Amino acid sequence: MRGHTRAVAAVAGVGVAAVLLAACGGGGSTSGSKSNASSEISIGACTVQSPLLPGDTNEVCGGTVLNNTTAKLVRYNPDTSQPENDIAQSITTKDNQHFDVKIKPTYKFSDGTSVKASNFVDAWNWAADCKNGQANSYFYTPIKGYADLQTDGGACKTAPKTDKMSGLKVISDTEFTITTTEKVSNLPVRLGYVAFAPLPDSFFKSAANQKAQEKIPVGAGPFKVVSNNTTDIVLQKNPYYAGPYKPHVDKVDFRVYKDPSAAFNDVLANNLDFTGTMDPIPNDQLINNQWQKELAGRWGQKGSSVFGYITFSPIDKQLTGASGLKLREAISMSINRPLIIKQVFANSYSPASGWVSPVVEGYKAGACGENCTYNPAKAKQLFKESNGYKGTLTLTYNADGGHKAWCEAVASEVSQNLGIKVVAKPLPDFKTLLDSLDKKEISGMFRNGWVMDYPSIEDYLAPIYGTGADSNYAGYSNKAFDKQLQVAASADTGAPADAAYQKAEQILGKDFPTAPLWFEKTNYAWSNNVTDIKVDAFQQLDLSSIQLKKS
Amino acid sequence: MVRYIIRRLLQMIPVVLGTTFLIYTMVFGLGDPAKGRCGERPCPPAYIAKFNAEYNLDKPLVLQYLLYLGKLVHGNLGVNFYGNDVSQELTTRYPITIKLTIIAILFELVVGIAAGVLAGIRKNGFLDNLVLVSTLLVVSIPVFVIGALAQMVFGVKLQWFPVTSTQGTLGQLILPGLVLGSLSVAYVARLTRTSLVENLRADYVRTARAKGLSRGRTVGVHTLRNSLIPVITYVGADVGALMGGAIVTERIFNINGIGNFIYQSIYNHDGQSVVGAVTVLVLVFLLINLIVDILYGVLDPRIASD
Repeated sequence: MRGHTRAVAAVAGVGVAAVLLAACGGGGSTSGSKSNASSEISIGACTVQSPLLPGDTNEVCGGTVLNNTTAKLVRYNPDTSQPENDIAQSITTKDNQHFDVKIKPTYKFSDGTSVKASNFVDAWNWAADCKNGQANSYFYTPIKGYADLQTDGGACKTAPKTDKMSGLKVISDTEFTITTTEKVSNLPVRLGYVAFAPLPDSFFKSAANQKAQEKIPVGAGPFKVVSNNTTDIVLQKNPYYAGPYKPHVDKVDFRVYKDPSAAFNDVLANNLDFTGTMDPIPNDQLINNQWQKELAGRWGQKGSSVFGYITFSPIDKQLTGASGLKLREAISMSINRPLIIKQVFANSYSPASGWVSPVVEGYKAGACGENCTYNPAKAKQLFKESNGYKGTLTLTYNADGGHKAWCEAVASEVSQNLGIKVVAKPLPDFKTLLDSLDKKEISGMFRNGWVMDYPSIEDYLAPIYGTGADSNYAGYSNKAFDKQLQVAASADTGAPADAAYQKAEQILGKDFPTAPLWFEKTNYAWSNNVTDIKVDAFQQLDLSSIQLKKS
Repeated sequence: MVRYIIRRLLQMIPVVLGTTFLIYTMVFGLGDPAKGRCGERPCPPAYIAKFNAEYNLDKPLVLQYLLYLGKLVHGNLGVNFYGNDVSQELTTRYPITIKLTIIAILFELVVGIAAGVLAGIRKNGFLDNLVLVSTLLVVSIPVFVIGALAQMVFGVKLQWFPVTSTQGTLGQLILPGLVLGSLSVAYVARLTRTSLVENLRADYVRTARAKGLSRGRTVGVHTLRNSLIPVITYVGADVGALMGGAIVTERIFNINGIGNFIYQSIYNHDGQSVVGAVTVLVLVFLLINLIVDILYGVLDPRIASD
């Protein structure tokens, strides 16, 4: 009898062993799927959220793909963020309102057709036309005739009478002119934004082509998309690319990760060549610089344009007026930025001393002055001079963006230092926050963020604080400020314009509509297989410099 | 039997209608999905208008649902907010999740039943106690801990298995499959053991043994078959749960399966994908339950349906 039992046990045991053996065998045969010598690299990516059209892509996942498949008139240097001519031969203006653009004749789209002046003009006209409902249409607003393409206050219930902006004129295949409604001295800088990329002739030929190019865009950039699905996107060298930024790798696989930890672990095991820009380094790795220890020599950090700040609600009467100004300054002074950065962000942010990112030309440190420096004694003093704050001061944030920890830290600091009740109040997601802001339902304070579109000091001022500007959630309006923006827009680019913008920023320092907090740094990591890693201030990996290690 | 199956299939129609309606209203009844799509800038009104018209979001909710249902009847799950065909998204992901589920279920059945039998035939013996303690250990550790730990140890450090399973090949899915099945293995082992111990005391076992049948045959053929009924119930429910509930495991190993897809879609407020994926999941669940009910009859003719 006992013998039989043993037999059953033995059979069962063999079964288990077989399963385990099969498991090991199966795993071993595929674990060698690393990037190999055929000059292919893989990058941690995220799901592309909109059609891959220059006029429609405004998030980092699709933006990174599109940025590498398109060439623009100018390109931002990945090290300095300064604009350099790319397709443009020259962009000249005498009055900052009429621009003459000459383009190099050598550039070709990935379908082999030449890039002509009309490809720019047609692309911008198409994207600005409200019929096409493009998300980036905002960027064409300075061009003369933009308003003619918007009907019903932009809602576009009736079709516009024309489909062209009068400010764009093709002179020849290699030359066109841009006329703006007002003076815009930094227009040449803006032209490097992805919304200003050209579209090929084939795009305008049929609706079917348009649909196809939403998935497989045709651009004049160093790469072209060969396959695009929601789990990975494969880029290949564009054989027709004529620009100077030729890539060293033949193929780039954008692998979509849902969990940044998975991407990080893959880089750790050298199964993935780069992560950090689209999939952030996981928080638990940032604590105590754990990731730097694990990765020894294959990690990097770069200052980015991402700006975090607190906006004081314009509908909160206690925060407006002379008393409100003192209160706003007191609140800002009672926030210990370096401490929060250390404790909540594991030092991957840098404290802000003004409203403009240090990565742009024209940045001048210290516009915020002592208001952005932790000073609880002065904060108390200012608080006493104000009328105080009755009730509970709220700091509203969207719960889907990882803002809980720092918002609670800020709330508790302000509460401790000023002796008032402050709570961090979550809204379920970002769209709800925007919705409540539109309906003017949020009083107290709320979190805000800004990512620059083009490397200009103007991009941090005009869209956020100009009277009636799109993203002016502070409801800020100051004639002197608007005047400075105008002066800057008509001054010569470079130092004269920058000086005027700096003056405008000084005005913000006096009025204090928002409290600057910090600028984000991009943390990134790479595998042992690659070298020459460069990440720019737009949080994008420079695909033209990365290359495989020579073995 | 055929009548029974037809009746069950017909019962599914109101269930599917009810669940899809509930899901649809829950997903689309809240807020304006177009709003948060332009980063820190507000979206241009023309963009919002175009987006809403494209997804029928400008119409009343009930009408939206009816329009959706109209497409659903034709097997069209629509296009999600990223412009991808939902049916196609699901067809690329289901095979991966099915593979993963099969690995997990096989692991569950083979290891779980074997461990349960070993423990059951020698009640209170060393093996019994070993199985008891080890299953207790597995049950008490959350699956994301087991998953993350397995990935770290076997993937990153020892490099026995790939760290992630992005392509979803069979070899890549083995480690996640074992992780996914680990919790259920414990339950299956315990269910088998208890059920077997109980049945071994039954009269028919004593009779069989008295007739001179070998112990192996009494346990392997007569008792085990009867003892497996609760196990089948459990595994049947588990198949359904694994098909949609592998969210945690699929996330850890970056498997492009259904669980990950649903998680991602919910996170991105991609209502169209959520409704489509969950609708299919409801169907899968109903079908598996039907199969389990039919299997009962095969194992034990006394409780055969019909």
